[in-house]
Amino acid sequence: MGRTAPTYRQALEERMKRWDEFARLLTSPEERAAFEMVRTGARRYVAQATYVGSPDLLESLLLSVLTDLAVRVRSETSAPASRR
Amino acid sequence: MAAASPPSEPDGWLLDITESDDGRSVVLWTKERTSGRVHRTAVEYRPPFLVTGTRNDLSLLARRLADHADVESVRLGSGRPSLFDRRNRPVLSVVPSRNPARRALARSVDALGGYERFSLYDVDLGPPQLYHLAHDLYPFAPVVGRPPALRATEPPETIDYATPPLRIAPLEVRIAGERRGRIPPPDGRIGSVRLGEVTLEGPEEELLRALVDELARSDPDVLLTEGGDSFDLPWLYRRAATCGLSPAEFPLGRERVRFRPSRPARSFESYGRVLHRDAFYPLPGRFHIDRENSFLYRDAELAGLVDAARLSRLSLTTVVRQSPGTCFTAMEMAHALELGAHVPWKKNRPEGFRRADQLVAADRGGVIFLPPVGVHDHIDEFDFASLYPHIMVTKNLSAETLECRCCPESPVRAPGLGYRSCTRRVGLIPRTLAPLLRRRLAYKAAIKRPGVDPDEAVRLKRRVKMLKWILVTAFGYQGYRNARFGRIECHEAINAYARDLLARLVPEAERTGYSVVHGIVDSLWLRPNDVDRPPDPEAFARRMTERFGLPLGYEGRYRWIVFLPAVTHGLGVPNRYYGYYEHGEFKLRGIGARRHDTTVLVRRFEGEVLALFRAARDAEGVRALLPRALARADRFAEAVRSGSWPVEELLIAHRIGQAPEAFVTFTDSVAALRQLAEAGASRGAGEVVRYVLLDRRSRSFCDRVRPAELLEGNESYDAAAYLELLARSAETLLAPLGVDRNGLRARWGVPPAPERDPYHSPEDVHQSRLRAVGSDASY
Repeated sequence: MGRTAPTYRQALEERMKRWDEFARLLTSPEERAAFEMVRTGARRYVAQATYVGSPDLLESLLLSVLTDLAVRVRSETSAPASRR
Repeated sequence: MAAASPPSEPDGWLLDITESDDGRSVVLWTKERTSGRVHRTAVEYRPPFLVTGTRNDLSLLARRLADHADVESVRLGSGRPSLFDRRNRPVLSVVPSRNPARRALARSVDALGGYERFSLYDVDLGPPQLYHLAHDLYPFAPVVGRPPALRATEPPETIDYATPPLRIAPLEVRIAGERRGRIPPPDGRIGSVRLGEVTLEGPEEELLRALVDELARSDPDVLLTEGGDSFDLPWLYRRAATCGLSPAEFPLGRERVRFRPSRPARSFESYGRVLHRDAFYPLPGRFHIDRENSFLYRDAELAGLVDAARLSRLSLTTVVRQSPGTCFTAMEMAHALELGAHVPWKKNRPEGFRRADQLVAADRGGVIFLPPVGVHDHIDEFDFASLYPHIMVTKNLSAETLECRCCPESPVRAPGLGYRSCTRRVGLIPRTLAPLLRRRLAYKAAIKRPGVDPDEAVRLKRRVKMLKWILVTAFGYQGYRNARFGRIECHEAINAYARDLLARLVPEAERTGYSVVHGIVDSLWLRPNDVDRPPDPEAFARRMTERFGLPLGYEGRYRWIVFLPAVTHGLGVPNRYYGYYEHGEFKLRGIGARRHDTTVLVRRFEGEVLALFRAARDAEGVRALLPRALARADRFAEAVRSGSWPVEELLIAHRIGQAPEAFVTFTDSVAALRQLAEAGASRGAGEVVRYVLLDRRSRSFCDRVRPAELLEGNESYDAAAYLELLARSAETLLAPLGVDRNGLRARWGVPPAPERDPYHSPEDVHQSRLRAVGSDASY
C-alpha cells in the first residue's frame, strides 16, 4: 500500500503541488484566501474519499471540496446571525 | 531421573537445544529439578529437507545427488508438503551429510532445477527447531525421562505453567581507567568484571581466569548485560586472546566456543527505517540477554520471552534477538508441520494480475478520520481489541483458504472486493492466531482476578505485551512479499472487513446518541449529543460486540483531549493527540514524550505542562491553564538561555540512515560521527548517535556538536538552538490553544532561526579550492 499504487492522501498531496502553480497567478488577497478554502476543503474529507476507492482522483477530490463548500453555505444561510 | 514421576512433578526442564560443533548432532540442555544441575546431551540428528517436482526430474535429481559429497542419503516417496496440495505428489527427501551444509545443498538443488522445476521445503528451519517439532518438545518444557528420551508433561499451549527456576546474573565489564559508556582506547585493559554479586579485580589474565572459575561456581543460566553483544563479550574475548587464553580455557557458555561471533554485526532496513543489529556471540547452554540489543526484552522481559520461546519452539537466545515477526513465522511453521504440511523455502506465489482500478480499490488501509483540531471534553473512546487478528480468525483468512477451489459459493466475502473464504477447513493463520487470542484474553482475565499475586500480575502483563506484539505482526506479515505464508489478497481482505466494520459502526453510534469525533482503523472517539445524559458506554460496547462478533472495548471517558494540527496545513493529524481519562491516566500519541529522539529538556517541559493540565476538569479548564503553561515555558526558556541547563539533558539522539561515509551534506550527525571516528568509535548505518549542539552554525565538526561519549560536562551549548527546540515543543502541545513558535520566539527575544549558508556539494568545494590555487590551473 502506498508503494505499488499511491494512497489517496499521497495522490492528493501530489495534485496539490500542481495547484500551487495555479495559486501563483492569483492576484488579490481575497482570491488567495478563497483558494486556501478550496484547498482545505480538498483535504477535509480524505477518510471518506479513501473509503470510496475510486480510480478517479478528481471525482473524490471534487466531492470533498463541494461537500466542504455546501457545509459552509448551509451554516451561513441557516444561522447568519451567529456568524457575525 | 525417574521416569515414573506424576506429570505434576517433572524430572526437570528442557532449557534449550543448540547445534553441535560436529555438524551431525544437536545438544539438549536439561535442568534437573531436584539438584538444579544442567546436563548436556548430544544426540545425532540430521533432518532432511524436501524437494518436489515431476517424478522424472526427481529421479534424475536423486541419481545426481546419490554420490554428492554433502549428501548422506536421498529417498523418493510421496506426500502433500504444500498447504495447497489436495492430493499426493512425488517428494524427494534429502539428508545432508552435515547440518551446516543444508542451505548450500538446497541452493545447488534449486540451481539444478533452473530455479523453476523444483520447490524446496524445510530448508531454513534450524535443526534445533525441527528437533523440537519432531519430538513434541519445546523450550522450557517440563519433562520426564532421561535425555534424549524426553517427554513433555504438558503441551506448549498450556496457559498456567511454571517457568523453570533460572539463575540470572548481571555481567558488566569495565576497562581500567575508563568510565562506562565512554570510548575505550583500542588497547584498553579490563580492570574489573562484575558477575552477579561478585566483582572481580586484579591483573588482567588472573581476572579473566577468575571469571571462568566464578562462572563455574555460581553457574548462572542467564547472563544479563547492557550492551553485551557490542561491548562486554567482544572485549572479554579480545582481551582473553591477547592474554593468550585458548577457547577451551575461557568458556563463557557451558561449552567451549570460538572467540569469533557466529554472526557479524549488520545494518538492515525495516519499514523504511535503517536499523542496526550487533554481532552475535553464542554461549551454548547459557542464555545471554543484551538489554540494549533486544527490542522485545524491553517490553516483555523474561516472562514474555519464555512464553514466546515455548510457542515458537525457538531458543530463548533467538527470541531475545529477533523481531516478533520471526516468532510469529516460527509459530506458523509449527502449526503447518502439525497439519502434516511443510515449510516452503521460497514463496512461489506471485501476486495475480489485475486491472489498475481493481488494484486501486483493493490496495487500501483502514478508515482514518481527520480529527477536529482543538480541546474537547466528554469524549468516550472505544477500541476493538486485536481487531485484525480477530478478523483473520472469524473470516478464516489465510493464503490457502482465500479464493479456494472448494467453496465457489462461499457466503463469506470481503466487502467491496468479493474475495471468498473457505467454509470447509480452517486456514493456517486462523489456526495459529486463535490460540494466541484465547491466551491473551486468559492472561488479561487472570490479571483482573481478585487477590492475584502482584508478582504474578506483572509476569502476566509481560506475556500480554509479548502476545500483543506478535498479534500486531501477524497482520503486517500478510502483506510482506517474503512472508512464507503471507498473501497480499489476505492483507487487502482484512482491511476491507475493517473498513466496512467502522462504516457500519458510525450509524450505530449515532443512533445511540453519540456523534463521531474521530476514528482510526479500530478505535472511535465519540461525544454524547446530550452531555448531561450520555448513553451508557459499556452497554454500547457490549451491544456492538454482539452485533459484529468482534470485541469492542470501552477504553474510558476523557476529561479532556487535545487533537493536534499538522504544521504544514493546519488540519488535524490522525495520530497526534493527548488527553486525560476520568480514571486518572494520560494517553499520549505523537508528542515528544513518545519519540525516541527527544531531549530530556523537552521531555521535562512536556511533563510539567501535562502535570499542570492534569488538574483540568474539562476543556474550559485546560484553556484557563494556558497562561500558567506559558509561564512554565518562560521559566524553561530563561534557564536555557542563561546557559546553566545540564548538558546531559540536552542530548539529541539520531538514528543514522546510512553509513557515515555516505553522507553528502554536513549535518549535526555527520559532525558527531566524525568526532567519534577520530576517537576510534565508528558507527554503522542504523546505529544511534547522541550529541549536544554547541554551535549549530559552525562549519567545524568539532565546534558544532559534542557526542555523548566525549562529553566532559562543562561544554557551553547553543542556547538559541535549544530555545528553538523548546518553542517547537511548546507549539506542538499548545498550538490548538493559539500558541505558535514565532510568537514564543518574539516573547523570548530569540532571533528567528537564521538561514544556513547555502549548500555546497563536495564537488563545489573542491572546484572552488582548485580555483583558489591559481587562475592559471588548467582543467
